[in-house]
Amino acid sequence: MEKRVTLAAGALALTVIGLMPVLMIVASTFYVAGEFSLTTYQALLASSKQLAPLMGRSVLLSLSVTLLAMMVGTPLGVLLGKTDLPLRGAFTMLVTLPLLLPPYVIAVAWFAVLGSTGWIGRFLAPTTSEFLSSAFFGFYGCIGALSTAFMPVVMLLTIAYLGTVNPRLEQAGLLMSRWPSVLWGITLPLIARAILFAAVLVFLLTLGEVGVPTFLRYPVYPVEILTQFAAFYDFSAATAAAIPMLIITAVILVLEIRLLHTSALELSAATIGRRNAPIELGRWRFPLFGLALVWTLVMVALPIAELIVQSASLSAFADAFSRASDSILRSVVFAAIGATLLTLLGFFCGYLIHNRTLPLWRSIDALALFLFTLPGTVIGIGLISLWNRPITNAIYATPAIIILGYLAQYAVLPTRMTAATLQRIPPSLEQAAQLCGASWFMTLRHIVAPLAKRGLIGAWIIAYIFCLRDLGITLVVYPPGFDTLPVRILTLMANGAPSLIAALCVILIAVTLLPFFVGALWQTRAGRPP
Amino acid sequence: MANARWATTMSMIEFRSVCKEYHGRRVIATLSLKIEAKERVVLFGPSGCGKSTVLHLIAGLVIPDAGEILVNDELVATAKKNLREPQQRGVGMVFQDLALWPHMTVRENIEFGLRAKRIPKKQRRQRVKEMVDLVGLDDYLSTKSGELSGGQQQRVALARTLAVAPGIVLMDEPLSNLDDASNVQLRKEIVRLHGDLGFTLVYVTHKRDEAEALRARIIFLRCGRIDDASSAVR
Repeated sequence: MEKRVTLAAGALALTVIGLMPVLMIVASTFYVAGEFSLTTYQALLASSKQLAPLMGRSVLLSLSVTLLAMMVGTPLGVLLGKTDLPLRGAFTMLVTLPLLLPPYVIAVAWFAVLGSTGWIGRFLAPTTSEFLSSAFFGFYGCIGALSTAFMPVVMLLTIAYLGTVNPRLEQAGLLMSRWPSVLWGITLPLIARAILFAAVLVFLLTLGEVGVPTFLRYPVYPVEILTQFAAFYDFSAATAAAIPMLIITAVILVLEIRLLHTSALELSAATIGRRNAPIELGRWRFPLFGLALVWTLVMVALPIAELIVQSASLSAFADAFSRASDSILRSVVFAAIGATLLTLLGFFCGYLIHNRTLPLWRSIDALALFLFTLPGTVIGIGLISLWNRPITNAIYATPAIIILGYLAQYAVLPTRMTAATLQRIPPSLEQAAQLCGASWFMTLRHIVAPLAKRGLIGAWIIAYIFCLRDLGITLVVYPPGFDTLPVRILTLMANGAPSLIAALCVILIAVTLLPFFVGALWQTRAGRPP
Repeated sequence: MANARWATTMSMIEFRSVCKEYHGRRVIATLSLKIEAKERVVLFGPSGCGKSTVLHLIAGLVIPDAGEILVNDELVATAKKNLREPQQRGVGMVFQDLALWPHMTVRENIEFGLRAKRIPKKQRRQRVKEMVDLVGLDDYLSTKSGELSGGQQQRVALARTLAVAPGIVLMDEPLSNLDDASNVQLRKEIVRLHGDLGFTLVYVTHKRDEAEALRARIIFLRCGRIDDASSAVR
C-alpha cells in the first residue's frame, strides 16, 4: 500500500509540475478576460504571415542539424562503440563534452575561432576573415554550433543500443560474411529505430533552442516567443505563439511512438546485455584513429582551447567575477537543489516505470519525454500561466519557479537512469527482503538504494549539469535579481568584451564539469569504470 | 536447537482452482492442491510448467487471476487480489539465484529479517549465531556474500530464510548451480533441517534424482496442471 501511494504521489507530482503548466497554456488561449474566446487564435492567424517564415526557418534549421548529427553521430557511434579503436573511451568523453554545455557556449567558442578577430582570422586576409565571420553569423553558424552540441545524442544512443544487439545474431552473420556486411545488413537495421528516435530527439531539441540563434542573430520561432514575452511584455501573444510549438512537439512524439514503436523504456534497456567482441579494424585502425583525433581536436578541443586562450588574463577573470559572482553562486545552488529534487522525483518515477506498479506507468514515461523535448520557453510560459497569481506568489516571485521548471523539463533524465539502474538489480533481491518481513521503505533504504547508488549518483550529476546549462526556462521565469550564469552571459553578450564573455564561459564550463569529474574520480577510486 | 521464541508455526497451504496467465499465456491452469502442515513436497516437472509460479503464488509475489489461496485456513489471495502481503504470510523462500544482497556481509544478510521484525539487537546476534552454527558458516560472518563459494552462498541463503522461523519454506531450484557433491550434501542438510525445525517445505526441481532423494511427496506438474498419473507419495 505504502509503495503504491508513494509512487502515485511521485507520478502526481510530475503531472502537477510538468503537465499543469502545459494545460494552463492551452486553457489560457481559450479564456480571455475570464470568458471563452478564440481571439488568441484569430490574432495568431492574423500574424501568421510573420510567424510562418520563422517557423519555416526553425524547421529548416532543425532538419539540417538532425541530418548532420545523424551523418556524423551514427558512424562515430559505431566506431567508438563497436570497434577496437585506441582510446575510444577518451574520445567518447571528449566528443560528449559539447552536450554537457549550454549550446551557445559552443557558439561563443566557435566565434572565438571563426570570428573576424578569431584564431583563423589571424591567418587570413581581412576580406576573407570578414566573409567567414559574416557567414558564421546566421544559418550556417547555427547548424555548426547546434550539430556539435547535439550530435553526441545520436552517437551515445548508437553506442548504447549497439550494446543491446544479441551477439549471436552478428556471429551467425559473420559465419557467412565480413563485418562491414554484417554491420550494414544486420546490426544497423536492428538499431535503426533507435537511431531514428535519436534523430527525433535532436530535431526537437534544435527546434526549441533559443541561445544559439539569439547569439548568432538568426531569427527563429522560439526566439519570437521570447521576444513577445521579454521585449514587448505581450504575454498573451507569447502564449499563443507557444501553441504551434506545443502541437508540433506532441505530434512528432506521438507519431514516433506509434509508427516506429520505439518504446521510451527501451532507452533503459540499452547498455544491458552481453557485448560482442569488438570489430578488429586491422590496417584501418590507425587511419580511423587519426580521423577521430582530427574530428575531436577540430570540433571540440580547438574551439574550447581558443575560448580558454581568449579568456586567459587575470583582468578578464577579475571582471567576470566582479560582474557575475552572484550569478555563479546562484547557478550552482539552484542546480544542486534542482538535481537533488530531480533525483528523488526521478527515483520514484523510474521505479514506477521499471516495476510497472501502477497502470499509468506508460503515461508517466511519455509525459517525462514530452516535457524534455518541449522548448524551455514554452514550459516557462506555462509556469508563469500557472503560478502567476497572488495566492502562489511565494512560488512565482522566488527561485522556486526556476526549480519547478527544472523538475518539469529534466525529470526524464533521472527517471530513465533510475529505470536503467533498477534493471540491473535482480527482482529476487527485493522480493527476498519482502519475504524477510521488510516494509517497502526499509527495502528501498537497505537494499535498493545501496545497490543503485552508482546509478543515482550518476543521475544526480547529469541532472545537475542539465539544470546548470538551462537557458530556455530560466530566461523566461527568473524573478528579478535571481538570474543564473547562463542568463547573465547571454545578457552581457550584447555589449561585453569578448575576453569577459570567454572568461564567463570558461567559468561556466568549470562549474558544469566539476561534479562530473568528482564523480568520475570517485568511481575510478571505487575500482569501477565510470 | 531453536528455543520457544523461534518455534515455527504449523502452516498448511491450499490452492482452490487457481489460474495464472502471463501475457495471454496460461501458466497455471485451474490448479487445486493441498499441502499439509510440516509436509515435505516436491514440485517436479519440465521447464516452463509453472513450478516457480506456484511458489510465487504461495509467497504472494504473484497475484492469481482466478481461484483462491489459503494459508492455515486463512484466505490470503483471491482473484486479482492479495489479501495478505508477502511479508505477512510467514513464508520464507530460497530463490534460484539465491538473492543474497551483495553489499551486505553474511551477518547482515541473516540479520536483515530480524531487524525488519524489530528484534532487539542482543537476540538478533544470538539468533544469527544459531543460524551460522546450523549451516556451518561461523567463520564467515564478516565476509561479503559475493566472496563466498556457491555452496557457502547456498547455506547463507538457507540461514537467512530460516532465521525468522517461517512456517513455510519455499525452495526454487536452490541447488541448480552446485556441483554434484555439494548438491548431494546440501540435499541431506535440507532434509535434516526440515526434520529438526518442522516447517512446511515446498521444493521445486526439474531433476528427477533430486526430487526422489528428498523423500517427499512429489507433485508432477505439466503445462500448469497436476499430472496425477505421475505424482506419487514417497
